[in-house]
Amino acid sequence: MEIYAKEFWLPKRGSSDAEYEDAFSIAEDGFRFAVADGATEASFSGVWAKQLVRAFANKRLSIPIVLEELKPLQSRWQKIVHRHPLPWYAEEKASSGAFAAFVGLELSQEHSDAATKRTWRAVAAGDSCLVHLRGDQIVGFPLADSSSFSSRPNLLSSSPTSNGNGSGLLLSTSGSWGCEDVFFLMTDALSCWFFREREQGNEPWNLLRDLDTAGHVSFEKLVADLRSEGRMKNDDVTLLRVDVLA
Amino acid sequence: MAYSAEISRGNPSCFVFVIDQSGSMGDPFGAGDGNQKKSDGVADAINRMLQNLVIKCAKEEGIRDYFHVGVIGYGAQVGPAFSGALAGRQLVPISEVGNSPARVEQRTKKVPDGAGGLVDQPVRFPIWFEPIANGGTPMGQALGQAKSMVENWLSQHPGCFPPIVINITDGEATDGDPTSVADEIRKLKSTDGEILLFNLHVSSQRGAPIEYPSSDAGLPDKFAQQLFRMSSPLPEYMMNIARREGMNVNEGSRGFVFNADMVAVIKFLDIGTRPSALR
Repeated sequence: MEIYAKEFWLPKRGSSDAEYEDAFSIAEDGFRFAVADGATEASFSGVWAKQLVRAFANKRLSIPIVLEELKPLQSRWQKIVHRHPLPWYAEEKASSGAFAAFVGLELSQEHSDAATKRTWRAVAAGDSCLVHLRGDQIVGFPLADSSSFSSRPNLLSSSPTSNGNGSGLLLSTSGSWGCEDVFFLMTDALSCWFFREREQGNEPWNLLRDLDTAGHVSFEKLVADLRSEGRMKNDDVTLLRVDVLA
Repeated sequence: MAYSAEISRGNPSCFVFVIDQSGSMGDPFGAGDGNQKKSDGVADAINRMLQNLVIKCAKEEGIRDYFHVGVIGYGAQVGPAFSGALAGRQLVPISEVGNSPARVEQRTKKVPDGAGGLVDQPVRFPIWFEPIANGGTPMGQALGQAKSMVENWLSQHPGCFPPIVINITDGEATDGDPTSVADEIRKLKSTDGEILLFNLHVSSQRGAPIEYPSSDAGLPDKFAQQLFRMSSPLPEYMMNIARREGMNVNEGSRGFVFNADMVAVIKFLDIGTRPSALR
């Protein structure tokens, strides 16, 4: 069995690639995958989102994440932000911290004489989502319907005081996986579209599973069309597709 | 759906602040510490709103021009009120506003210390406007200029998020009843909805601050009642955010506050994901 992961991403329409504030990380060896979404209204959020996905892929974050594990990342974020003197507005903005939604997935397997036990575990904060697809059955985590998305989610902060004690912020779940399963890790704009399509009786997973393969729509075209038709919020958009192949 | 247009650098919106700098602003400020004048209340209100607007648009690389800002002063004269590098300018991109305060003061603010207490943190506070109290109160004329400014903006940005006009005053107009020009402003619209006219009443009257009332019954004087009637109702989307933020708003709440601040209006504006923990 092989695990194959591929990323797709685009900045918000009207923004440059350098202004893209989502992040993703793939550690196929470690069977860990993550996407994060830095909040537009904070600054240095893209840096924070990158720190989170890298730390998760490198197994510096547990499942579930313990707030204590964020401390080295938070110190590092402070150092990055204050490398240069900041104008008054940037200083004030940075003092509120950066914020990001996050979802991370780990696949594991244990072999025994009788069988192989395959387990997945996931951790999330905010409105970046994981969808586990088996056949035409889907499981969404931490959100699973389009009405759950708002422009004011609970997010992981680079400022320890904003995370409180973490209760209600960091969620985790688990399941089993097998051959031909697909996992989609998506930031909010794509997640919201995905669930809405499903609620309308459509099968958006087919589009995502076939992206960029011969004869099928490209990610760029799909996103551009959905945005121009008003079916997807204009936001940075990221998809990490993890295929389990025989 | 109205008030849903994206606010972006490609489709910016605008704010016009209309600030009372008349002689009556030299009277004591009801919400002040006893030494403050109404003109201090006005200067503080406009400086805080500009500060919040700039910070809202700030990113690590600088300030994004999601808004253009005009400030019209009325007192001995009526006209654009920015000073220094922005003097005489009408609508100014927010990045230029942020980079051109008249001066930057050092202040302190209380922030959580992470152990349940508060600690003083130094902050730099920009000052664009100093207190001014001089001349009559030609509010109608000033609102007329705001109307022209917004009309001009709308002709160039017909699909923008509706501009917001905020009048900061003690309400004692000396050039007649400003109600009709206020009505005309509220009738202006972009394809996304009607312009919002809000009023911030800075009064010598003491008493509890009033925020976004839904009726003029109980307002302390005829000036407050008139300013309430001149104010736009809060759009549904603002009411929803205000409720989520724990503010007491009702059906019919209008964009009017009495001896209170209006910084919340800036927080109501949606330029993308705003963490629920970011206040």
